Amino acid sequence: MSPLSCSQVQESAPELALGILGGAERAEVVYHVDHCARCQAVVAQFAEAADALPLLAPELEPPAGFETRVLARLGAPKRRSRRRLVIAAAVAAAFAAILSITVVRVVESQTGGTTSKPVTVAMAAASGKIPVGWAYVTNGVSVAVAVDYGIGVPDGVYTVRVDPAAGPVHDLGTMTITGGRGSFTGKSPEPLSSGSTISMVDASGTQTCQGTVA
Amino acid sequence: MWSVSDDALVAGLATGDQQAAAAFVRRFQRRVYGLARTIVTDDRAAEDIAQEAFVRAWKHAAAFDPRRGSVVSWLLTITRNLAIDAVRVRRPVAFDPDALLALDPVADGPDLADLAQLGDDTDRLRAALVRLPTEQRRAIVLSGLLGYTAREVGEMEDIPLGTAKTRIRTALIRLRTALVAEERTE
Repeated sequence: MSPLSCSQVQESAPELALGILGGAERAEVVYHVDHCARCQAVVAQFAEAADALPLLAPELEPPAGFETRVLARLGAPKRRSRRRLVIAAAVAAAFAAILSITVVRVVESQTGGTTSKPVTVAMAAASGKIPVGWAYVTNGVSVAVAVDYGIGVPDGVYTVRVDPAAGPVHDLGTMTITGGRGSFTGKSPEPLSSGSTISMVDASGTQTCQGTVA
Repeated sequence: MWSVSDDALVAGLATGDQQAAAAFVRRFQRRVYGLARTIVTDDRAAEDIAQEAFVRAWKHAAAFDPRRGSVVSWLLTITRNLAIDAVRVRRPVAFDPDALLALDPVADGPDLADLAQLGDDTDRLRAALVRLPTEQRRAIVLSGLLGYTAREVGEMEDIPLGTAKTRIRTALIRLRTALVAEERTE
């Protein structure tokens, strides 16, 4: 048994469950927990919620060829059939019915099966680097924004503004954030290429968050 | 193949079934990549992490125990740990805590009874998160989703370490209460 008492270990139990306990402290706590059924039970209770937290992250389409590259590492066959694509689309639709904000699918439905892959733009809070959600650009003009973390963006109505790399700034419309979340879809009058920005501006004209097209 | 349960897919993965491996990747790649990208905020690093997460899941599929949690939670935990390890190496400084101060207190959310009516863990978790006081919500998102330590949360929030730990603990207890409340109604 480690020198740590049960109360000391249980104090650290949330951090252990969340995986944010580092170095020697973690080693000591883990050693104790491995030998103490009571503390194991406490950690297990915290782990129940901690393990579910990653579910809060938004789903994102991986880069083109991701599946092929992963399967190559697993030694699995690279199968590309029309049937697979149809089934995958059906599965994606099923997920869409379950998840609250899935912007890529919104864009795809609006463009009727675009041949252009959406460009992902991470939206970060203006005064820091806190990720607050995502923006997607499809065919250079279709814009979708999703704020889905519940942090960084106060509730309210925001103007979605695009700044093309070349050309004037355009306001595409308004987006309502409720409970820290909201979504928007619209079209830019000018193509958004690399370096273009998408931002959310509050009623006072202050930019709350921004993303740049890579 | 797509009608196969998550557990069965992992079982297939463990036996080296290549079709199961392909279906497994297709089923979870958006979630895995999305989580990795959320934490590391870099496309290339996110892909590396997502690939590695699938490789590790493949290697350890035989050890997966469905009694200890769902497949998606298991896979996302692998992903999150990899992503946090990567960020720890590359992140030079914590980000600006002022950005967090823009949060508004959450207005009325559903009560626990309403949470029980929500469809799945993700919905219930989101609803429970909204009900948390802002400071607890910030603490749990920073630590539980983005992988910041209690000390880092304390520094970003300009609060004592003990306060940061308390916020994280209280938030986690409340989130668990929401999840467990649902299980008891089933």
